[in-house]
Amino acid sequence: MIDAFPPAFIFLIVATLLPLIPGGSVRATIMLLVPVASFWLIWNAPTGMDAQFEFFGFTLTLMRVDKLSVIFGLIFSVAAFLSSLYAFKVHDRVQQSATLFYAGSAIGAVFAGDLISLFFFWEGTAIASVFLIWARGTEGAYHTGMRYLIVQIGSGVILIAGVGLLYQQTGSIAFDKMVLESLGTWLIFLAFGIKCAFPLLHNWLQDSYPAATVTGTVVLSAFTTKLAIYALARGFPGTEILIYIGAVMTIFPIFFAEIENDLRRVLAYSLNNQLGFMVVGIGIGTPMALNGTAAHAFAHILYKALLFMSVGAVLHRTGTSKASELGGLYKTMPLTMIFCVVGAASISAFPLFSGFVSKSLILDASATTGHWIVWLVLVFASAGVLSHSGIKIPFFTFFAHDSGKRPKEAPTHMLLAMGLTAFLCVAIGVYPAMLYSLLPFDVEYHPYTASHVISQLQLLFFALLAFGVLMRAGVYPPELRAINLDFDWTYRRLLPKIIGTVSAVASTIWAAIIGFAMRRINNIISGLYRTHGPEGPIAKVWPTGSMVLWIAMLLAATLLVSFIDLM
Amino acid sequence: MSDKKIGDDAENLPWLGRKLLWVDNPANVKRVFQVLILICIGLFFSDFIYARHGKFEFEQYWGFYGAFGFIAFCIVIFGAKALRTLIKRDEDYYAPHVVDTEEYPDSGLDKASYKDD
Amino acid sequence: MFSAPFTFAALSQHFPILQVVIPLIAAPLAVFIGVTSIAFLLAFAASITSLIISYSMLMQVIDGSVISYHIGGWAPPWGIEYRVDAANAFVLLILSAISTVVLPYAKTSIEREIRASAQTLFYTCYLLCFTGLLGMVITGDAFNVFVFLEISSLSTYVLVALGAERDKRALTAAFNYLIMGTIGATFFVIGLGLLYMMTGTLNMADLANRLPALSDNRTVQTALGFIVVGMGLKLAIYPLHLWLPNAYTYAPSAVTAFLAATATKAAIYVLLRFMFSVFAPDFTAATGALNLIILPFAVIAMFAASIIAVFQADLKKTLAYSSIAQIGYMLLGISYFSHTGITATMIHLFNHAVTKAALFMAVGAIVYQTGTSFIPKLAGLGKQMPWTSAAIVAGGLSLIGIPATAGFISKWVLISGALEKGWWWMAMLIVASSLIAVIYVWQVVETLYLKEPVGDVVVKEAPLSLLIPTWILVIASIYFGLDTELTLSSARAAADALLGTAPLAAGAGS
Repeated sequence: MIDAFPPAFIFLIVATLLPLIPGGSVRATIMLLVPVASFWLIWNAPTGMDAQFEFFGFTLTLMRVDKLSVIFGLIFSVAAFLSSLYAFKVHDRVQQSATLFYAGSAIGAVFAGDLISLFFFWEGTAIASVFLIWARGTEGAYHTGMRYLIVQIGSGVILIAGVGLLYQQTGSIAFDKMVLESLGTWLIFLAFGIKCAFPLLHNWLQDSYPAATVTGTVVLSAFTTKLAIYALARGFPGTEILIYIGAVMTIFPIFFAEIENDLRRVLAYSLNNQLGFMVVGIGIGTPMALNGTAAHAFAHILYKALLFMSVGAVLHRTGTSKASELGGLYKTMPLTMIFCVVGAASISAFPLFSGFVSKSLILDASATTGHWIVWLVLVFASAGVLSHSGIKIPFFTFFAHDSGKRPKEAPTHMLLAMGLTAFLCVAIGVYPAMLYSLLPFDVEYHPYTASHVISQLQLLFFALLAFGVLMRAGVYPPELRAINLDFDWTYRRLLPKIIGTVSAVASTIWAAIIGFAMRRINNIISGLYRTHGPEGPIAKVWPTGSMVLWIAMLLAATLLVSFIDLM
Repeated sequence: MSDKKIGDDAENLPWLGRKLLWVDNPANVKRVFQVLILICIGLFFSDFIYARHGKFEFEQYWGFYGAFGFIAFCIVIFGAKALRTLIKRDEDYYAPHVVDTEEYPDSGLDKASYKDD
Repeated sequence: MFSAPFTFAALSQHFPILQVVIPLIAAPLAVFIGVTSIAFLLAFAASITSLIISYSMLMQVIDGSVISYHIGGWAPPWGIEYRVDAANAFVLLILSAISTVVLPYAKTSIEREIRASAQTLFYTCYLLCFTGLLGMVITGDAFNVFVFLEISSLSTYVLVALGAERDKRALTAAFNYLIMGTIGATFFVIGLGLLYMMTGTLNMADLANRLPALSDNRTVQTALGFIVVGMGLKLAIYPLHLWLPNAYTYAPSAVTAFLAATATKAAIYVLLRFMFSVFAPDFTAATGALNLIILPFAVIAMFAASIIAVFQADLKKTLAYSSIAQIGYMLLGISYFSHTGITATMIHLFNHAVTKAALFMAVGAIVYQTGTSFIPKLAGLGKQMPWTSAAIVAGGLSLIGIPATAGFISKWVLISGALEKGWWWMAMLIVASSLIAVIYVWQVVETLYLKEPVGDVVVKEAPLSLLIPTWILVIASIYFGLDTELTLSSARAAADALLGTAPLAAGAGS
């Protein structure tokens, strides 16, 4: 009956049962097997709509298998495997279960063929993932998690509101290409945009990822935003506004990342910037561009995980991920350093690394369609990526001034996870045909042409040169213990202040009104009762008296309405 | 850091770390920088020996990518510096209840350094 | 009739009357026997029997058929008729199911809240109240509704007053309730009197036949006004709700759980019955006009009561005000004047009964262990009473209407009813008001889990006899959020039954 068993269910079932299993290592091993099973299922899933069932008279589709969903399903499975390996020694039941729930929900959402099941999985990712933040167990993590949860749940609420309106309008809950022409589709777009960290909707990302646990951040980095990318690619390919949103997304995080001290937050900004490339690809919407988005998401999940893993390993050993507290770690953590450099080279799109073969598809598509300003923006952003992810992360962690810290090399399972991820990054870069064969459309593209390789090298090496010059000139911004304001200032500072002021004013006015009204009502009531004789004690009980008045008024209103209707 | 750190005894370091110690020497850093300049010069002149297949006209100019990369990087750095003067705040700006001022709880970590040996 | 062999089949013919008579007889028996434990067993047995009867009746009528039972063999409209269709069978099931779960809970709970000598009387009053509610719902005779209404009300006043053992304010609350309830009942009977004056009949079906001819008659209009306001008082329609918060807060916990889940629900059913079966079909133009009253007050209730709930310091009061807001949702469903609207009301009747009873029972468990439901004193209880606190969280989620809880299903149907009418702004209002529920639920969660306990008093988890009934309902509130087969089909059948006897098609617009 069901040819394609939804891989999400494996995750969800195991996640439910996992806490019952004694023995942390047993659980950790099971966590490695689940993504393998899921990968196998997705690989063998027959194309088409499957696993459909009825719900409230709607037909829900849990397995919509096509090339777009498969590539995301596969990379999500890979990411689940790698992060589980990285977290092999985390035996906390909550985190283990939450990881599986989260990954399962993300995979479920990818294969959801209708908007209602998408909504359920969408909220699933929101709820499961917050536990990875709370697992840090500090007051700050708790509050950050709450902020994160509110935004994520909010995205889901807006999504379902949009779905409701769309259904009202079209009578269909199918999750297909939509056009931004009604309130419903705009709401759905907004919901996707929140999860995708569109500019001004992005702060939850930079706020929460540095707050999660060492392993939690690695998990977080893979799913939520890329699910949003998938949803946009599915729902809004070729929507022009996305080109400009994406272009802005590639630019502004660069500046924030450059002066941010917490390296995991730097990576969060850089994540935001990479999402921008994918969003541009969706906005262009040609087969080449969508291929670029899918390929870039695939490559990005890997190298971003790798970077988070390496910074996480440093945090794991030293207790800090702040650039100002780190430096000179190459001496004692050389392997971690090398993996970090591989990640940095991949994200910076050096030839032979994965970013090179995926990002160029999007750049090529933007050039082919004649968006020359966007193209320039993207090239600019590529140089910017080098500055914060390519240079800043490895340089200030492992080189720069010696912090005096001599941490031990990362534990074996972490090295293994990083090594495997780094291998994949290089493998994709060296042999891109493997990745290209998974892409949603059949497009002929060759990244390794002399002109492409040399122009990319020129861009990157001259940027490196600029770094060297600025560093030697002493104008490169130093790492400082500080935070930087971002748009979240509006809701973390401004809004509470406004609310505080407004509510103080409002409560004063309200109290005055209530006081006035109370006096009036009391007067009326006591007046009424004086005419009705000395029934003293009852009349003085305020609720009773006013209640009776209400009854009289409501009766009068009811009669009035009925009578007027007659006339 | 006046007293010599245990980790600085070369034999305590992992093999790979030992092999990389040269980067601490300022003279070597200078050499790396010089190599970088050489590579850049080489890349710049390579523009003259092959035909670039750009999609736009401006791509065809000699040294377009190099100049663009250099300038872009400088814009990023100076832009960020300017931005910093506007938005930099103390770490405890949003405190309490923020992770920025908290120590990462040790229970979730496995801190270990060469000093422990 | 009585010579028939004593078989289940023969007995089942008399289910409608047995439904009412069994708890009615059990009530005085409990007093005569005078032993608390036997009184409990008696009440529990009566309740279980009621549950079985109501379930089997629901299964009989869910296909749309009607059981008409003539008391004493007197055919209506002269004799009193009990008339069971899907609508009231569903409500009967809610009443008896809740009662069956609450009773075992009550046994433990009242041991600390009511003095031993009054416990037998508690069961008597409980049974009488139960009888009254069942009677109100099952009867097809308008005056009979009044009689049962009074039976349930009078016993409710006593039940609320029994809370005086814990807090003397229960007496004032009961007294207030008495005044309000009496006014409500009086209004109701005045309305019935006016109807009787004009039609000469009290049988609902008969009334429904005769009223259309009189639809222009002002006396009949007035009667409708009195009946709506009278019932409005009993079901705590927004501005007439003032009796409710105190009564729920100061009554013994078990009583609150029972009342919150049943009393207002029975009243809503009566209102539905009168509006859709009795004053119909031609009268709907006038009832449609009532929309002008019910709809705005329903919306005000959704917001005002929720906001008041946010500011309460007593958890029981928070929940009481939340009940008033939830009643707003049910009235909103009525005011749609559509099949989906009534389905929403009926399903929310069920889902809210389960959810709110679970919540009040969980709070009762806290009162049992700590003696208070004052929110600041509950700080840190999440660790000390994990199961009870988890029940509150789960119930709270259902109250908000998070997916995979019963509350979500209600809101879903309610929103789809609104969209069906093209009232998308109403859908937004429903969502917005749910967000207020997030606030008051969150406050409780925060207190339970995130605040440090006040003082060094070690609080233990509630006994299993309280936890098991609570969790039965908690699980039910999740279960019915996932499997909606029973609830949704019953609610739809109920809506069919209410509309079927009086098609609304013509008068649907107001």
